[in-house]
Amino acid sequence: MENFIYALELMGIGMGTVFVVLILVIELGKLLILLVNKVAPEEAKPQAKAAAPAAVTPNVAQAITQAVNMITGGKGKVEKIEKQ
Amino acid sequence: MENIWEKIYSMTALSDIIADPRFLVMYALAFLLLYLGIKKEFEPLLLVPIAFGVLIANFPGGGMGVLGADGQGLVHYMKDGVMVAKNVYEMPLPEIAHDLGLMNYIYYALIKSGLLPPIIFMGVGALTDFGPMLRNLKLAIFGAGAQFGIFAVLLVASQFFTMQEAGSLAIIGGADGPTAIFTTLKLAPHLLGPIAIAAYSYMALVPVIIPLVVKLTCSKKELMINMKEQDKLYPNKQEFKNMRVLKIVFPIAVTTIVAIIVPDAVALVGMLMFGNLIKEIGANTSRLFEAASNGIMNAATIFLGLSVGATMTVEAFLNWTTIGIVAGGFLAFGFSIFGGIMLVKIMNLFTKKKINPLVGATGLSAVPMASRVANDIALKYDPKNHVLNYCMSSNVAGVIGSAVAAGILISFLG
Repeated sequence: MENFIYALELMGIGMGTVFVVLILVIELGKLLILLVNKVAPEEAKPQAKAAAPAAVTPNVAQAITQAVNMITGGKGKVEKIEKQ
Repeated sequence: MENIWEKIYSMTALSDIIADPRFLVMYALAFLLLYLGIKKEFEPLLLVPIAFGVLIANFPGGGMGVLGADGQGLVHYMKDGVMVAKNVYEMPLPEIAHDLGLMNYIYYALIKSGLLPPIIFMGVGALTDFGPMLRNLKLAIFGAGAQFGIFAVLLVASQFFTMQEAGSLAIIGGADGPTAIFTTLKLAPHLLGPIAIAAYSYMALVPVIIPLVVKLTCSKKELMINMKEQDKLYPNKQEFKNMRVLKIVFPIAVTTIVAIIVPDAVALVGMLMFGNLIKEIGANTSRLFEAASNGIMNAATIFLGLSVGATMTVEAFLNWTTIGIVAGGFLAFGFSIFGGIMLVKIMNLFTKKKINPLVGATGLSAVPMASRVANDIALKYDPKNHVLNYCMSSNVAGVIGSAVAAGILISFLG
């Protein structure tokens, strides 16, 4: 019976301590997340500049406009030419 | 002529095996464990060396069985035809090797000294990723709930064993082989063989035990709780701006906290976190990481498995104490899974965001097998319900939880 009571006490102490330690680990984790976010946020990677669309030469633009005019019977209008 | 045949007969192990057929039981046990390890692929990295250790330890005259020391540290053995008793802790290692053989040398130098369990913990740490735990920090609490089996079985076992023996038996509920060995060495070293075998065997049987307990305690509705959908409904507000730094700082901080609260757990938790730290630092410590997670870990596993298996001699295994340990260990394991599941159920009563009880069932230390098994169960009920990452949180926390529980047992009973 003496052993049983001691084991019961150990159960209370043991489970209590395990919970306390893991709660501390959880809270510590939250604190570390906050600290790391504040003190050492990841360096922003320099974004690669979007490549400027290559200029379309006037000759090409004229050729495209003529082709559109021919196909649409003069109704179509070229507003923008982009190179992908 | 007859005399020669008699001599040949007595030279082989046959005469001893026929005189004591209990050896056959040990061979059957070794073959069963080998079958489970090789064919069923249950923890083969551990079960195969342990099983082979059991096999080679039980050939009479082979000298490969580990001699257990009695309460006074005495080992009894034949030397030059005379039975001698010596205090094994006072014997120099070369004398142990010479008088008691290779396996006793390995056992007393590496296991009994308490060297290998923390070394293996270092390897486990190097193979552990705390990322899933950090992403789902709240779920780590189930690593505490699943230590219930340890203390529940301590209560029962205290009626049949001494408190030290009961503590060693109960730690099987932590589902962690090195922790079980470490604790038993401190509390009841004479029970090391059966406790290590029971701990590793039940760890190997995680794919059987978890589904069994889950089936007995969980409804289909509970098992279909989809954690990702719950995350969408109640999103986690935590933001991670630098996971790499966080993962480096975390093991250092946890070691410090645990060391302050439960110093007896530092040998295990400290080495676990050191292994993890050298992994997370990256390229600068990659050589250390390689050594810890491969060379050292593998060598330690071989020596640990073989020599622990070799403690399972006829005298050490075939007795009522061992049967009690096997039964008690199973209860401890089952109650731990039950404890984790119950904690989830209780929390689900009070929170809007529901948790799949499988996350509680994996609060054991058996990483990552418990999580994989739980994920398979979840997928059976809903093919889209992947709970692996969530289970890994409680699973990894279970490693810390069981080491802390071991520290408490050692500190109170040691």
